[in-house]
Amino acid sequence: MSAALDGGPVLQVRGLTVRAERRTLLDRIDLDFPARSLTAVIGASGCGKTTFVRTLNRMVELTPGLTVSGSIRYHGQDIYDRGVDPVLVRRRIGMVFQRPTVFPMSVFENAAFGLRVAHEPEAEIDRSVTDALARAGLWDEVKDELDRPALALSGGQQQRLCIARALAVHPSVLLLDEPTSALDPIATQRVETTMRHLKEELVLILVTHNVGQAARVSDRVAFLSAGRLIEQGPTAEMLERPRDPLTQQFVSGRFA
Amino acid sequence: MATALGPAPGTGADALRRGTTARLRWRTGFDRWVGYLLPLLFLVALVPIAYLVYFVSAKALPGLSWAVLTSSADYQIHDALGVPIVTTFLFMLLATAIAVAIGVLGGVAAAEFLPERSAGWMRMSANMLVGMPSVIIGYFGYFAFVLYFHWGLSFLAGVVTLAFFMSPYVFRTVDLAFSSIPRPIREAAFGSGARPVQYLLRVGTPIAFPQILTGVFLAMAIGVGETAPIVLTVEPGLLVPTGAFQPAVFTTYLIWTGFNQPPGDVAYTLAFQAAFLVIVVVLALNVVVRVVAARYRQRLEGLYQ
Ligand SMILES: Nc1ncnc2c1ncn2[C@@H]1O[C@H](COP(=O)(O)OP(=O)(O)OP(=O)(O)O)[C@@H](O)[C@H]1O
Ligand SMILES: [Mg+2]
Repeated sequence: MSAALDGGPVLQVRGLTVRAERRTLLDRIDLDFPARSLTAVIGASGCGKTTFVRTLNRMVELTPGLTVSGSIRYHGQDIYDRGVDPVLVRRRIGMVFQRPTVFPMSVFENAAFGLRVAHEPEAEIDRSVTDALARAGLWDEVKDELDRPALALSGGQQQRLCIARALAVHPSVLLLDEPTSALDPIATQRVETTMRHLKEELVLILVTHNVGQAARVSDRVAFLSAGRLIEQGPTAEMLERPRDPLTQQFVSGRFA
Repeated sequence: MATALGPAPGTGADALRRGTTARLRWRTGFDRWVGYLLPLLFLVALVPIAYLVYFVSAKALPGLSWAVLTSSADYQIHDALGVPIVTTFLFMLLATAIAVAIGVLGGVAAAEFLPERSAGWMRMSANMLVGMPSVIIGYFGYFAFVLYFHWGLSFLAGVVTLAFFMSPYVFRTVDLAFSSIPRPIREAAFGSGARPVQYLLRVGTPIAFPQILTGVFLAMAIGVGETAPIVLTVEPGLLVPTGAFQPAVFTTYLIWTGFNQPPGDVAYTLAFQAAFLVIVVVLALNVVVRVVAARYRQRLEGLYQ
């Protein structure tokens, strides 16, 4: 806690390396995520963006065969320390996936899932679910059908429901792995609006292959290539005056 | 583009007409013949079953009355199915309970908790057990439970052997049902801070349930028609067993002992009536499986998009 109050980064990544059996998927990455910011992680397909965000809340451990080294400090505490419970890490550092991942239950129960597994009291669940649905920009669309199965919602609504589910447990960090890649332009716009609101209160880390999206919503950009962090900095600087030729090439190719 | 793929396909009205080259003619002809053949193959599969049902019903139905089904008289002398039916029900109830317990625990362990290598061993053993002739399972039950555990030829030995026979079917469907839950769904549950057991109970089970239920019903359908695991481990009894070590009679025992008796004999009649009952139960279980599966598939529509 103290680190953030001091204005230090909420998440601090140092020398992060991820190896599969024969290859290095991420190579000595150093990156800070300050409070109330949205960092876009961009890079070509297969460069390690998904692997990177999955290390940030220890989701990577669900894939057998990968070894993680280096350190990731959350408010100064290394989340890979022995004695740190990955389940508690994931309750502080939530995640939204590329495709909507609603569960076969009602809209309300989907949003309440994280609170139920954390054994929150009923009154708290009601309050947090309503609040999370509102913050995810979904409340007006679903307030009259909270008991309907979530699978009946549209793809865009499902994705915002997944954001609400992640928000309901009051995380301090939200990881979003290409959250709009399966959505149409209008649904994408809604999710982007949601992200812009959310970065006022928490740390957002957005993986995107869409440089335009990074320009629209992010404060900072980190560019990965072949498992290395090539360059990072404020969005305007990174997209308009990148220093590294690899970044230049990627950014100009994607904007064109 | 067009050059690389050969001439561009016609775009006029003739693009919609059947091809006229020899090859295309042959293909359309082939399609048509397959169209005729499929119903024929369906008949080939259906005819023996229909004939079997007719053959058994013709011998079973004339004498089969409510009184026969409920009479608890001695089935060696009278046309009475009450004791075998109730006993079989008990057999199935207990054996299914044990098989489900073993199969669900094993399946969940293999799908979710064990390292890939041990799970692989479990899957291989289950596959081997499923492929094993039931008479070998029967002998295993005989040597293990009847002799080694000193349970004797008893109801208990039969129940446990039958459960042992049924459990790999349950195991396989449970394992498959949980393993085939889309990975993102599983990860989303863990990503929301669920512990493994919470994931299994709250997310995994609702998704896997129809498949598991299907597996349990199929295991029951297979178990209720089995003979060897029972005849080798249980002494046929004339009464419904009231204790673990008593004799007991399974419905298929009547089929096994009666079908080669002289027609007109009570045992012969009972054999066909018992066979009729088993067929009805197996068909009913299969219908239930289909209905359940269809119902739930509808509910989960969209999950696998
Ligand atoms: N478990 C694994 N074992 C070995 N290699 C892996 C494993 N998981 C991912 N990889 C490899 O690591 C590299 C990075 O994968 P990752 O999914 O992080 O890329 P990405 O940047 O998210 O790509 P995309 O934009 O296509 O989503 C890829 O080359 C992939 O093949
Ligand atoms: Mg990815």
